[in-house]
Amino acid sequence: MQGSSALDVAGRLWSRRSALRLAGTALLCAGSGGLADAQPQQTIRFGLTPVFLTNDLELLNALQAYLAAETGYEIELITRRTYQEVTALLVSGQLDAAWICGYPFVRYRDDLELVAVPDWNGKPLYQSYLIVSSERDAASVDELAGDIHAFSDPDSNSGYLVTRTLLFERGLDPEVFFRKTMFTYGHRNVIRAVASGLAQSGSVDGYVWEVMREIGPELVNRTRPLRKSEWLGFPPVATSKALAHSHRIDALAGALLSMAQRVEGRRVLGMLRLTGFEDADPGVFDGIAAKVAMLRGVL
Amino acid sequence: MRYASRISSLPLTVRVPATVVILMVAVSGLISERVLDRLSTTQETYLQRLASAYLDGVVASITPSVLREDSWEVFDGIERLKPSADDILPLETVVTGKNAVVLASSDPEARETLRPLDPRFAAQFNGTGVTIDTDTRSGYVRRDITYQDQLIGAVYAVFDVSSLLRERQQILVTLLATNALFTAFLGLVGFVAVRGMIRPMQVLETHMVEAAAGSPTPIADSEFPSTDNEAASVYRAYNALVRSGVEKQALARQLAEEEKLASLGRLASGMAHEINNPLGGLINAVDTLRLHGERRAVRDSSIDLIQRGLQGIREVVEAALAIYRPERLARPLAEQDFADVRLLVQPELRRRRQKLDYRMEGTLDVDPRWPAGPIRQALLNLLLNAAAATPEDGRVGLRVAITGESLEIAVSDQGAGLPDTARSMLTDETNGEVPPDSGGIGLWIVRAIANELDATIGLDGEAGAHSTVRLTIPRTRSELSDAA
Repeated sequence: MQGSSALDVAGRLWSRRSALRLAGTALLCAGSGGLADAQPQQTIRFGLTPVFLTNDLELLNALQAYLAAETGYEIELITRRTYQEVTALLVSGQLDAAWICGYPFVRYRDDLELVAVPDWNGKPLYQSYLIVSSERDAASVDELAGDIHAFSDPDSNSGYLVTRTLLFERGLDPEVFFRKTMFTYGHRNVIRAVASGLAQSGSVDGYVWEVMREIGPELVNRTRPLRKSEWLGFPPVATSKALAHSHRIDALAGALLSMAQRVEGRRVLGMLRLTGFEDADPGVFDGIAAKVAMLRGVL
Repeated sequence: MRYASRISSLPLTVRVPATVVILMVAVSGLISERVLDRLSTTQETYLQRLASAYLDGVVASITPSVLREDSWEVFDGIERLKPSADDILPLETVVTGKNAVVLASSDPEARETLRPLDPRFAAQFNGTGVTIDTDTRSGYVRRDITYQDQLIGAVYAVFDVSSLLRERQQILVTLLATNALFTAFLGLVGFVAVRGMIRPMQVLETHMVEAAAGSPTPIADSEFPSTDNEAASVYRAYNALVRSGVEKQALARQLAEEEKLASLGRLASGMAHEINNPLGGLINAVDTLRLHGERRAVRDSSIDLIQRGLQGIREVVEAALAIYRPERLARPLAEQDFADVRLLVQPELRRRRQKLDYRMEGTLDVDPRWPAGPIRQALLNLLLNAAAATPEDGRVGLRVAITGESLEIAVSDQGAGLPDTARSMLTDETNGEVPPDSGGIGLWIVRAIANELDATIGLDGEAGAHSTVRLTIPRTRSELSDAA
């Protein structure tokens, strides 16, 4: 427990510094998004990380329509290429809420509050997959030495942190173990890189891999999971601590948590292949937090 | 040479269209080559532009990624920029960084990431222009990536140029088909045109062949071309020639007839003398019969005398008739004919107190190529000519020799030799102009008969000396023909 609180303190200190830095970057980059309205805000600015279907306009439209209808607010969906950009906007208060990864949530734990956690197959958990070409014989991680390895995002749990930790536990440095690593900024891109042969292995969100296998088996079936990680906290919807329990965040939380009970909500969940959202305990992210702690000082 | 002579033996109606066709094939071959060459250039320019547009896009998009050596961004850029609407699509795009290491390719399985580019692949790219390889049906084009004047990499793009090659193929086929049709059409037009053009020549040829065979006929009005052109002019000239020839022949026939009558006239006085001689005896015999007819011995001898006298008269008359009507003597020559001719010239010889030396070597057998009429006519003319040339009290020779190959009749005289005009008349096989007056027409007829009988005429003796005219008439070659 003592270790844990020490970690928290250290994390908090690091988080503040990072948040300031990120906020500065976000102000420079975000343009008009930086100015807060003087009028009572009628819009919920909802950020999305490139999870897997960011280019699916039908899903975005359905999600926007559902949330708007349920919350009574206008919903502005904001997407950015990297996790870092979305996280920075969220931490700096330029987003009311965002669907982020468990890793940034843990990193900015002191600044962020959970709004809801998606349930996949009834649980707020998912795995990270280490994938290789389906034609490849490799059976263990050791055989991936010398590969070109595709990560999703340096701020992704499943697409970076899990594999990074795995190698760290074995005393390996990815920059040495792999011939070359690359960030593709999207789980879908990791699958494309491995399926095309550009990379020989990749780290990908298991939920994305499974869902994409349903949607586009032709691409995904050219890869196979070599290793699946333990179950970890599903990428949550989070808000900044400052906005937590504000009216619009409560409305957003209500809309998300009741999604499975609404017809339009179930349509959105169907597209996402999720079973619902739950008001999960932050403890589901302990596994990720442990990895962050393990790599503290390394990353 | 043999081939050339075979070609030149082809009719004009084939040669001219064939020449047209050959020329057309040559011209169309040249045109097709030029068109295809131009098309090839145009296609390469088109491909070059297309490739440039594509490469410009790729280079502009991926240069920052190449600088960072970010294989994923380069790969993603290639994927995103791959055009799908054009009929000429990039088959493969490879981006290399410094040191020709593959940063990413559209087919990472074939070109492994972060490995040196296969030199054999790189060798297919020649300079900055498009290289088209018809075997692989691909176009190869390369573009350097520079940043701040520094070479930082290169893009290699392979395009599927099947559609361009297919277009070339289609144009080639269209050209060949069009040219073949055009050539065939021109060949046909040439054939029809040439046939039309040489038709007057063919008509003329047919008539000339007929004329050469001895029966010239004028070109009928129905065969004249509808328009008054060169052909009509040539036809008219030919018809004028034919008419002139016919008139000349008629004139010659008339002259020959007159000559025959003239010689007959000369003979007639001789004949009258021949007839007159026995007539005195006959009248005496009749008187004797009237006075002493009751006496058997006297009667028999008188009647015998009368019969012989009448026989002699009959022979003279028959010989004369044969000369006047030679068509009655189409039968083969017989020894009697020589006797007849001798009999016919006898009065003339006697008048000039000349002697005839007659000699026959061999036995005269029947040969259809030796018709009695013309030979009698020719012999009579030669003998009369020899008698006229020989001075009075001189000798005229007639030698007939029958051999296995021919009948040779030699008539000799003791004259001062044949004048040049007579010599040329006898030896001129063309049997040209009829002599202007009756002089020499007898010899001209001898020459005509010799031509008719396929005979040859030889002359012995020189000018100013005795001369011999030798008429050699070949035998029928039926045996040889049968043997052949």
